[in-house]
Amino acid sequence: MSANAHPDSTDLDRIHSAVKREKADLPPESQPAPLWATFLLMLVAIVAGGQLGPMAGGWSFDVSNPFSIAAGGMDPRPGADGAGATLDPFALAMKKGASGYAICGGCHQGNGAGLPGQFPPLAGSEWVTGGTERLIRVVQHGLVGAITVKGQGYNTPGGMQPFGAAMSSQDLANVLTYIRNTWGNEGTMITKEMVQKVRDEEKRATQWTEAELQPFADKNVEGEIPAGPGATAAAAAK
Amino acid sequence: MQTTPDTSETDLKADNLRRAAIDKSVKAPVLFLFTNGAFWLMLSTILGVLAAIKLVEPSFLDGCPYISYGRLQPAHINALVYGWGVQAALGVMLWIMARRSGQELKSGKSLLITAGVFWNITITVGILAVLMGKSTSIEWLEMPEFTWPILLVCFLCYAWPIARMFGRAIRPEGFMVSTWYILGACFWFPWIFITANVALHCLPGLGALGAGIDAWYIHAVILLFFVPVGVGCAYYFIPKITGQPIASAQLASAGFWTLAILGGWTGMQKYMGGPLPAWMTAIGAATGVLLLIPVGLVGLNHHLTALGKHSAVATSPTLRFVFFGALFYPVSGLVLAMNSAFWTGSGLQFTQSWYSFQVVSLYGFFSMSVFGAIYYIVPRLSGCEWLSVRLIRNHFWFSVYGISTIVIMSLVAGWQQGADMNNPEHWDQNFMNHVLNSRPYVVSRAVAWALISFSNLMFLLHLLLMVVGLGRRSSAPTLLYSHHDEHAPAHA
Repeated sequence: MSANAHPDSTDLDRIHSAVKREKADLPPESQPAPLWATFLLMLVAIVAGGQLGPMAGGWSFDVSNPFSIAAGGMDPRPGADGAGATLDPFALAMKKGASGYAICGGCHQGNGAGLPGQFPPLAGSEWVTGGTERLIRVVQHGLVGAITVKGQGYNTPGGMQPFGAAMSSQDLANVLTYIRNTWGNEGTMITKEMVQKVRDEEKRATQWTEAELQPFADKNVEGEIPAGPGATAAAAAK
Repeated sequence: MQTTPDTSETDLKADNLRRAAIDKSVKAPVLFLFTNGAFWLMLSTILGVLAAIKLVEPSFLDGCPYISYGRLQPAHINALVYGWGVQAALGVMLWIMARRSGQELKSGKSLLITAGVFWNITITVGILAVLMGKSTSIEWLEMPEFTWPILLVCFLCYAWPIARMFGRAIRPEGFMVSTWYILGACFWFPWIFITANVALHCLPGLGALGAGIDAWYIHAVILLFFVPVGVGCAYYFIPKITGQPIASAQLASAGFWTLAILGGWTGMQKYMGGPLPAWMTAIGAATGVLLLIPVGLVGLNHHLTALGKHSAVATSPTLRFVFFGALFYPVSGLVLAMNSAFWTGSGLQFTQSWYSFQVVSLYGFFSMSVFGAIYYIVPRLSGCEWLSVRLIRNHFWFSVYGISTIVIMSLVAGWQQGADMNNPEHWDQNFMNHVLNSRPYVVSRAVAWALISFSNLMFLLHLLLMVVGLGRRSSAPTLLYSHHDEHAPAHA
């Protein structure tokens, strides 16, 4: 495909026209860079520096989670796993339960007061502070039909959905401990083992009604209470 | 090479002849690379369309194992990177270095062509192997293991004469501005390619680190090979066509060295929070953000250079492509910084926004700049002018719309995917729902690749006509908006 193959390749003027019309290569100038650009780039450097620090995990080859530094340091994020290690089981359950309650709060409201006629209150409710067996069963399997709480009648179409299938027994225990000890409520801690015990005993696929739950109203699930109100001595020693 | 206004008429003539002789000396290898690259680009974009269709409609052409998504996507990216990207880059590097150094390609032309042929045969075999299920499953290195030493040798066959031209050049003031990027690309690619391949294919028991090395490889190839070639193109062609000198030699220098220092440190942040030593991902994240500095310096320099001289963008095809390529450079830097920083990266991790970065840097920035270079270089080599304004215009607009769509849609899709996955409200949603939610974005990706395929078809036809010498016989350049006076400002 040499240029000679073209019939009119002798036309040097045309062949070279492209190079002829080119502009010369110019040396660069030395215009000053604007000051704002310098500040912007400094900002970039600061943001970039923020990726190092605690994120680098102490520059150790053994640390892949930047939040648990090899020497047993604490997770710097609020409410994270590392922080929980120093809390007692009750305080930890309260802390985790508080974030788990976000799901419940959609109906029972953030202040636990519920909505009149629709969603019963949790604050001061005998269903919450009473027997732990009934409380676990309600959340585990759901509840349907008219019920009476603190002397008021409530009836939500469809009732309360079962949450047991979607939550681990630990998460469920945390949330229940939280609602039993907030808004002026006081009750014993509900542990993972207690929730698991109810789960193993009762495998129903339908929601409870108030009448069905009546036998469990004042019944507490057996189990050690490691901390908090009414902690058992054996567990406290552990 | 340097011409100043007071040069006498005879010197100018001699200079023209010298440049024409340089063009003639590199004609065969450069046109070979461009033509083969354009074929691979065509294939790659078609595979891209098919891969996107498979994402939306997995039963499309069901029962044909060669075009399952897991084979199409790597074939598409490998054809884009090695078939089109590296070949087109080598062509542009060879031509710009020859021109800037004022050196003709004296000998070894047959070696260059041979290396080019071997490069293409190897990639053909490699991509066929990927489609037949023999992929190595290492992203961007899916072609079977035996291909990489061959590709490396072929690359070095080109890198050597380019580096030698640099060594022999008489270096006038400002010589480095575009050439150091080209020279850097010559050395960086072999380094990155050898490191990644030796580590991934020869070292036993890498475990999770292998994935990190692969992520580093992808980013290093983009930032230390494709980006330098694109920036080198922009630094060469913007002043050449506007007739306006680069605004600041100091900014150019700072931009180059910050890229050279930072470019090889990023990539592993892809696995932030994963089973890699935390400091590796932290450094990758910090560098990914810091790379905004070289990006900003180059962008600022181009901005100061082109300030008030944007009119040539309307007429010159080269400037238009290079200019839009240069606009995509800061965009690619921002996408990389967002993927890298822990605050945004925790949401964008493992989402389509990483694909967005690959496309914007490899196609939006690098390929657009190289298209511009090709529109400038080919008429000088083939001795005829581009045939059709309409073909160029369509190539440009379909490319711009296609790339912008892919980049924006992948970014938004990535943002949505990440936010959905991290949202505690979605605790009861299964993973498939998130996948289905991103379907509209993938549809737009298929449409965009189809637009780009169409634009590439026009580019390929146009280039083939030029290469076989069927271009316009004229001494006037092909401009996008023709002036009535043929001897009016020549921007092409």
